[in-house]
Amino acid sequence: MKSSLIVVLLLLLGFSARADMLSDASARFQDGEYEQSAKLYEQSLEKSPPSAAVFFELGRALNKTGQEARAALNFRRALILDPRFAPARSALQEANVALGIPPVKQGWQAQVVERIPMDSLTLAGTVFFWGGAFVGLAAFLPTAFRKRRLVAGLLLLLLGISLVSVVWLCDPRVTLANTALVLTNGGTSVRSSPADQSEKTASLPQGSIVNLLSQRGRWFYGQLPGGAKGWFLTEGIVPLIPPA
Amino acid sequence: MTGKTMKRIFAMLAVLLPLCLHAQEVAVGLSSNQAQVGEPVQLMVTVRGARGADVPQTLSVKGLQISLAGRSTQFEMRNFKMSSTLTYTYLVVPQSEGEFTIPSFDVQIEGKTFRTQAMRFSVSGGTRVPQQMPGFPQNTVPVPSGPPPASADAGEPFFAELILSKKKVYVGEVVPVELRFYFNSRIGGQVGERPSFGGEGFTVQKFSNAVKREQIVNGTNYTVFSFQSAIAAVKAGTLEIPEATLDSRLQFPGKTPQGLGDFFNNFPLPQGMFTDNREVTLKTKPMQIEILPLPKDGRPEDFSGAVGKFAMEASVSPKKASAGEPVNLKVTVSGQGNFEGMGAPLLTGDEGWRSYPPSDKFQSTDAVGFTGEKTFEFPLIARQDQTRTPGVRFSFFDPSAGKYSVLTQDPIEVDAKAGGAAPPVAAGTPALSRGDKPSPMPTPVSTPDVTAAAGGSTSWVSLFFRREFVIANASMAVAWFAMLLILSLRRFASSRAGRELARKKLLRDAFSGLRDAGSDEFYEKARDYIYLRLNAGGDDLAVAARIDSSSLPPEFKASLHRVIERHGETKYAAGGAPPPPVEERQAVISILKELEARYEK
Repeated sequence: MKSSLIVVLLLLLGFSARADMLSDASARFQDGEYEQSAKLYEQSLEKSPPSAAVFFELGRALNKTGQEARAALNFRRALILDPRFAPARSALQEANVALGIPPVKQGWQAQVVERIPMDSLTLAGTVFFWGGAFVGLAAFLPTAFRKRRLVAGLLLLLLGISLVSVVWLCDPRVTLANTALVLTNGGTSVRSSPADQSEKTASLPQGSIVNLLSQRGRWFYGQLPGGAKGWFLTEGIVPLIPPA
Repeated sequence: MTGKTMKRIFAMLAVLLPLCLHAQEVAVGLSSNQAQVGEPVQLMVTVRGARGADVPQTLSVKGLQISLAGRSTQFEMRNFKMSSTLTYTYLVVPQSEGEFTIPSFDVQIEGKTFRTQAMRFSVSGGTRVPQQMPGFPQNTVPVPSGPPPASADAGEPFFAELILSKKKVYVGEVVPVELRFYFNSRIGGQVGERPSFGGEGFTVQKFSNAVKREQIVNGTNYTVFSFQSAIAAVKAGTLEIPEATLDSRLQFPGKTPQGLGDFFNNFPLPQGMFTDNREVTLKTKPMQIEILPLPKDGRPEDFSGAVGKFAMEASVSPKKASAGEPVNLKVTVSGQGNFEGMGAPLLTGDEGWRSYPPSDKFQSTDAVGFTGEKTFEFPLIARQDQTRTPGVRFSFFDPSAGKYSVLTQDPIEVDAKAGGAAPPVAAGTPALSRGDKPSPMPTPVSTPDVTAAAGGSTSWVSLFFRREFVIANASMAVAWFAMLLILSLRRFASSRAGRELARKKLLRDAFSGLRDAGSDEFYEKARDYIYLRLNAGGDDLAVAARIDSSSLPPEFKASLHRVIERHGETKYAAGGAPPPPVEERQAVISILKELEARYEK
């Protein structure tokens, strides 16, 4: 009993400390102390579960300090957590304009995640799937309407699988699992092989997005926005989804 | 020229001329889509693949006088196919200024009816200026400025020109441009897909697809490829517009056999047959225009950066919002101008609302993004119960008037409840001002409370990979398989094989029970075994009847009857029957084993 009380008290203290930190960060932003504000937001994120709103605010603060690429990274992170977070999308567009990153046409997946919460869709798909599985199983019972139960079960099963497939194809936490952003000042060079002396095939400006395919030593092999592939140094390449 | 050669040529023409009748088509074009009152322009109806067509003598458009002026015929031969082109030329004389639409009309070709496309035609007032080159619009700035292209006068095979609608423009003002590339109609070949055009100090919009039309310049018929775009200057001063180029591969008529020059000049000949192929680059001439800075006087503090002529309207949805539910204020700015450089309108009187930077979407109604509408959507959440949305204010610079304009939209009625978690409006909460504009970041109208606004997931891991989700699904899978197993067993148990298996088990149990049975229950179990084995039910009499009806040998039947009788004796004898001796038990077990063996066979 005593230990439970202590745990609850500690949790409450934790929440209170986080709220204080965020309030402080917000106040500092209002006062124009953007670097301090960004540091406080970063500290808050280190101590608490990730939050789209906090990443957004961190991005705003970083942007005010002229760190557009880091701002873009945090806006992207905010959008991964909450793809329907319109302010983060607008802010990312602006940051990309500042970085000179051309806009990318949104696919149907982006339109889906902007409209439907992925976790809810996953749960709905799972409920339909298991509902269909159990209704289908009920067709084994020696009672009436066995065929109807089988058909209903199959339909529910298919619906569930479809919804789960949509989530699998759309959820940015799945689709962007191997995606990274170029933070290096001045961008990075793409080479034909993992060696400093190899032929330079392209340049990736700061703020570019790459899809990491493999790693060899201090080199990443990845796919560039245009679809081409090449090697680039791991320094300054930051995964959109922070490593656990 | 010998008579034999002439005969060959006429034979070839006799074969080729009927091919004139391949694919018929009708095209219509104006020598210019802009003119001044009294200034005639040509409307040309080009008919291909036919020897004749019925066209109307006049067209009735109020404010325009349109009458048929003449007809010309031309033969073309490409890839050994000959085609004829008929051109009917109308003279269009504007009677009054305004925007006109020349309607579509029917052209009859050998019983078939073809319908032309409607065309827009703009007529401005004022005195007529000397025409610099036939076909040039009068209210545009022909390039090169000055005399008409010498190439056109001399009947040159090709030339290019750049048309700008203004000589003086403001910084940021979008000016439509048109690049025209003229090719003498007798020249065949291929034309590049897009011209190359660009330079320092101005931006160029994407080019429209090429529009092909026929135009008569100084009495020579030209095929004109026209590309439309728009430019916008980025700084004040004199802007040098460099040449625009278009690469083409052309087939020029080559040297013809002596004495037949006049004859062959009527036909653009196929590649390799008296033709000369050349790669050419058509270039417009560079030009200068004057770029004026946006005036500082009268510039609104919230100037959005928009330059052009715009209108604004707004709507809100939903009209009713429960606590914490956002409403969407949709503001549409439509007109002509620099939509790309346009900032969002400003919300006014939004103290009771929490709002975020709007999303925007541009829908162009022309090919170059000059005309269209841009829609801004402001998500708004009421901080306190609200009955009206914020107002909207949008400022822009009107280059035609040379001054700034401000559009305003009154608040719209709405019923929005305050969100429970929404904090009260702090005094002095900064509102979005144009002063924040220099920052590349959009600043929210009011500072969002991040703790209250937190939405979305709080995990980087998709629900698929979360432990609780995996455990829940694994549990469901276990439950499903368990249920499947139970149902399968039940189904098997109710099947014939299942029932047989169960009976065999009962028999095995009954037999093993017989060996271990005490003396008082030995015959009871022996009788039960016979019951089961013979699949008989009921009392001893029923079992006896079953034994009698079986196909067992009579002596074996007697042995079984004896076991049944002994059961009766042990059960019903007064004072109880003596326990069966071991030999008797062995004998009974032997009988039952034999019964088992007989039934197994």
